[in-house]
Formats: sequence, structure tokens, C-alpha cells
Amino acid sequence: MAFPFLVPTSRTFEPGNFPVKTYRSESGQETRILYGSTRTDLRMSLTYANIPDADAELFLDHYDEVQGTFKRFNIRSRTKQGFEGDRNKLENRDEGVRYRYEGPPQLTQVREGISTVTVNLIGVL
Amino acid sequence: MAKVFTGREGKLLVGDNTVAKVVNFSVQANLETLETTTLTDNLRTYIPGVVGYTGSATLLYYKNDNDVFNTTELLSKIYKTGSSGVSESDTVRMKFRIDDGDIKRQITMDAYVTSASFGAATGEIVRAEIAFQGTGELNQVTIS
Repeated sequence: MAFPFLVPTSRTFEPGNFPVKTYRSESGQETRILYGSTRTDLRMSLTYANIPDADAELFLDHYDEVQGTFKRFNIRSRTKQGFEGDRNKLENRDEGVRYRYEGPPQLTQVREGISTVTVNLIGVL
Repeated sequence: MAKVFTGREGKLLVGDNTVAKVVNFSVQANLETLETTTLTDNLRTYIPGVVGYTGSATLLYYKNDNDVFNTTELLSKIYKTGSSGVSESDTVRMKFRIDDGDIKRQITMDAYVTSASFGAATGEIVRAEIAFQGTGELNQVTIS
């Protein structure tokens, strides 16, 4: 089962960073060492407000399928919808980065049959 | 026959007893809406949430010839001695009625008295202003 094919209500995205280690000497001089050529630790927070419980359940099923925060997966085209720029910029898939759950999906029951789901993802190699 | 209604046709009842000296009353119905707009939408969309009912009334502080106060049944639900506070049994059955000849146009609800303002001022008639919060379903709606 793939990541739920739903358009989010809101999405926040942080593009992450390259693996850089920074050292600072007592004089204040800074030395940075680049350990890789791939940008990782992308962060995407998705909110699906007021969706039917059946749709909310899809996230629970998917979370089980990827064994929580263990396995990586690709997000869907609908996850990126609404962004009118190059949607590939919301991933780094060509470089081998995939998303995994940063933590469990959060379900807030709004009323009978309706829930709001918040999902936090992190892009890793 | 065509007709408009005035305050003269209005009545507020607690249980089956008409409350005397009511200056005004109002009932509000509020539907909470849940937004379902997503990132690709240009127009906001909603689904219905839960419905609630509230009301308010202003009463002149009045006692009849038998020394019975018109405000007793309402004020006693929130102005209470003792430490038990308000309990679930402190609902009152409110009827907000407009008389249409022999037909009673009314909304009936069980409600808690959620606020009551009571005081005196120089040169003014003593009034009690009371607000209600309906609980559960409406028992009767015959206003339309």
C-alpha cells in the first residue's frame, strides 16, 4: 500500500541540508567539512483537515505497512499538489532520498466520522 | 391571513408555566462548519459540524399577589447555596413561543442557565438578564 493519495489542507516543507560539520576554533575561525553530496533531512509536515475517518484510516494502515518510522517510501503526486513550481523540488528522489515517518500520524477526532490528520515526514538516504 | 407578529404575541415558558414580565427573549441556532478546502481548491468548501442552541431573556423582577416570583425557576438554577454546584438535573425546559391565534409557534429545548445578571439601579426597574445553553435535541419546533 502506497502513501494515501489525498491532497493536503496545508503543507510545510523544509529542504534540509547537505551533511556539513562545522568546527569553530577559539579564535572564532570556522571550518566546515562537507561529508556528502546529497541534501538530506528534508522535512514535510502535512495536515489533512476534516477528512472522513475512512481516509484517516489510510494513514494508520500505511504507517503499519512501513513499520512506523522504519521503512522509507515515496510520497504521491497529490501530496505535492498545489505547488505550482517544480514539484520535484519538494523531494530529492533522484539523489536517492526517500521520506519516512518522523513520528506517528496524529489523528484528532473532530466529530463523529470526521478527523483531522497531521503527518510529519523526514527525507533521508 | 397575512400577518406580522409583534412582541405582544411572544411568551417565554419554563415547563408549562408562562414566565411573567418578560421584556425580551431570543433563541440562536449555531451550526459549526468544518472546512474541507485543500491546497488545489480556489473556493472554500465545508461540511456540517455540530449544531448548538443558545438563548437569552430579560425579565422584570416581579412577584405576583401570591408572593411568587417570576424569576424563581430560572435564577434558582444558577444562584445556589451549598457546595454541589450545578448538576445535570438543573436543566429547565424552555419554550419560546409566538402565539398565532390558537396555534402555538414555539421552540422547546432543555437548557442550562449559563449566566444570570441581577441588580438594581437608581431610577430603574430591577431586571434579571438570563442566558441559556440548550443541551441535546430540540423537543419541539413549530415556528415554520
